Amino acid sequence: MTEVGSSTDLRRENHLLELRNIHKSFSSVEVLKGVDFDLRQGEIHALIGHNGAGKSTLIKVVSGLYPDYSGSIAINSKSVDLRTPHAAADNQIAVIYQDFALVPEFTVAENIALGREPGRLGGFLLPHGDLRRRSEREIAEFELDVPLDTPVRHLGVAGKQMTEIAKALARRARVLIMDEPTARLAPHERTRLFEIMRRLAASGVGIIYVSHFLDEIKEVTDRVTVLRDGAVVASAATESMDIEDMARLLTGDEKTMVSAARPVADKCQERSIGKAILELIDFSVHGRPPANLALAPGEIVGVAGLVGSGRTSLARAILGDIAASGTLRIDGEAIGKITPGRAARYGIAMVPEDRKLTGLALQASIASNMELTALGTYLGYWGLVRRDLACHVIEDAIDRFRILPKDPGRPVGHLSGGNAQKVLMARAALAKPKVLLLDQPTAGVDIGAKSETHRQIRALAETGTAVLLISDDLDELLSLSDRIAVMTEGALGAVVDTTNFNRSTLLAAISQNVEKCRARAD
Amino acid sequence: MTAVLNGNSDLARRRRIGITRLVRHSQFALLAILVLAFVLASLLVPYFLTWGNLSNLLQRNSIIGIVSCGMLLMIILGGFDLSVGAVGAMSSVAAAALVAGVSIPLGIVAALALGLAVGLLNGFCIAKVGITPFVATLGVEVLVTGLLFIATSAEPIYGVPESFTTIGLGKIAFLPIPTLIFAAIALATWALLRFTTFGHYVFMVGGNKDAARLAGVNVDRVTLVTYGLGGLYAGLAGVVLLGTTGIGQPASATDWPLSAIAAVVVGGVPLSGGVGSVGRVVLGTFLLGIIANILNLTGISPYWQPAITGVVILVAVGVDSYQRKRAGRD
Repeated sequence: MTEVGSSTDLRRENHLLELRNIHKSFSSVEVLKGVDFDLRQGEIHALIGHNGAGKSTLIKVVSGLYPDYSGSIAINSKSVDLRTPHAAADNQIAVIYQDFALVPEFTVAENIALGREPGRLGGFLLPHGDLRRRSEREIAEFELDVPLDTPVRHLGVAGKQMTEIAKALARRARVLIMDEPTARLAPHERTRLFEIMRRLAASGVGIIYVSHFLDEIKEVTDRVTVLRDGAVVASAATESMDIEDMARLLTGDEKTMVSAARPVADKCQERSIGKAILELIDFSVHGRPPANLALAPGEIVGVAGLVGSGRTSLARAILGDIAASGTLRIDGEAIGKITPGRAARYGIAMVPEDRKLTGLALQASIASNMELTALGTYLGYWGLVRRDLACHVIEDAIDRFRILPKDPGRPVGHLSGGNAQKVLMARAALAKPKVLLLDQPTAGVDIGAKSETHRQIRALAETGTAVLLISDDLDELLSLSDRIAVMTEGALGAVVDTTNFNRSTLLAAISQNVEKCRARAD
Repeated sequence: MTAVLNGNSDLARRRRIGITRLVRHSQFALLAILVLAFVLASLLVPYFLTWGNLSNLLQRNSIIGIVSCGMLLMIILGGFDLSVGAVGAMSSVAAAALVAGVSIPLGIVAALALGLAVGLLNGFCIAKVGITPFVATLGVEVLVTGLLFIATSAEPIYGVPESFTTIGLGKIAFLPIPTLIFAAIALATWALLRFTTFGHYVFMVGGNKDAARLAGVNVDRVTLVTYGLGGLYAGLAGVVLLGTTGIGQPASATDWPLSAIAAVVVGGVPLSGGVGSVGRVVLGTFLLGIIANILNLTGISPYWQPAITGVVILVAVGVDSYQRKRAGRD
């Protein structure tokens, strides 16, 4: 591997991919502000950054999905235009997304040959034997050990990922971009993936590795480039940085307290169970480690963790939307089998993560979205809507939540993201919940709507609602929560007073793998 | 490490065998039900096991079998076609007019070309305009029916020569000619899906449209051709229909779309696309056909037939869907 400080000539010679001064804006917002990035042959190069730092935008530029970027891109020192996905593929760039581009009913061999099937009689006939043999031959040198004749549908995440890698390599990709490849892998699959990544790098493939797991970056990559607010803040050899350095660069927190980064498990101090409004006792979702949690009225408990760490599943299980084992108590009363309907009657409300997909009926009006949950309780009377009361309550809520436009009849689909989110919050508040589950309540909303949402969350807590706040936004977690629990790979850690964290230590805590945490606790 | 991975692929293999067995099982189950229905009918229903009846059974179900083969292609692609009935009626009327007035070959060719053209129109609306298959084919169905009624003033077209009914009523040995045509179409469809690149792409687009597009497959063209074939098959079925009646009847074939979808679905092909086989469609067609035949022979009111068909569809698809739902929950 080339060293960081080697001469410019040597570096230029080895450059597989070179990005210079890349700009990209969405409407008037500049997301990439002149990014320089280069990838050498045989290198595993980590690209890290917070949500919104611009790393997925940068990846999409390289994969040809944004034709309107500005700046220059060179492959093997030859200037190229990556304005379409085909241009990227022609330049031997392959992206492995988290949701794979595979045909589930096809075998691995057929997926490897996808769109490049060998044909006879001018491509009319498809010789299946030839296809399988060619796929096998194309990936033989990489020793990937994928079951060629198995339909992809029957493979796990690791198998699908390996199929995607095989598909990319069969097309002779030289630049492999992997977006959070380990997020859904078991530990041994992760080790296996790293082995293969190293072998591919040794054979000259350049890998751009996007991940939140800082310890994995430390383990597998050669170089790290850190993006913050659309600009590169650091690019250096991995061995020159430790995890706390990376966390500090990510957050921009200058006064990081490395010494304060004590293991999470030490800081357990459960509150008295007696006054809890919501209690989870050995509450296990999908056979994951059992979670124990107690929420007091008026308390905000933050749940931090990476994408895919099981936070949303936990919230949905509390709501009864997915099955779980263990005990769930509301006000000391154990609830047997919980369903979303029962949860609503017991006073549990949820503001789901994806507004458009699971939160709102987009064609329906602000009013009908808002009254949805409360219709089952005080706004309904023997199946009829108490329209006079509802109108009053809705107009009041539109004022209180500062929803614009102030038109109860406006379809929610026409609102901005922030206002749509306020409608969801208002719906939850109108249900007068005892427990409110918030899943990424401010994802993708502007700063004004965000502070407004924060104000409403605090106001709800002051009226005695217990809030479980799932968020990727560290500042949000730190400023709103009374206590914070970190979730790693389905395991809910101990609930700890927020004062024990700052941005860097919280980030470090959620970026560790669970084995590392355990190893440290031992 | 390799040991761990082998363990994994062992697991995958075991799961695969389990699932394959289940799939085979369900196909065998369908075959077993068909055989059971056949045996029971042979023992209990008078006149069932006669050459005359069996030949009649084959002849009557071959037309819907041809339509179902086209429907299968569109269902594998992730869509379906509600216009096949209108296309069948139109082809049969057009063939009647030309056979009576000009010549038999021209009548047949024109009927097939019309079917292909309407199928391509369906494909165009779905692939290029972006209308959902339900609405696109419903619209085309209503349009074609309307045009047909305008052109004929809803009057049947007579004058097809007696010789033409060989196509619908003739036999080679004891096999009705429609059945031989159905067999040829089934075989051709099977080969198309099994051996051609186009067939492979039909499965690919039905399985994951985005993956197909990202892999450089011309999804629009595959869609266009698939619906074109569906229309062509329906046009052919219209010609065979004219061969059985000898009259170009504008109001005929209205039950084709739902009967064909029913045959495919009872055969165990999900409407979600990406999977399916001709064998299942043949089984589904004849299962529904035998049930109708038994009801006819036993003198049960013909009004019972749709009701019983409905029950068969719900049970056959319900068992499958319920298992899937259970599997998805765990």
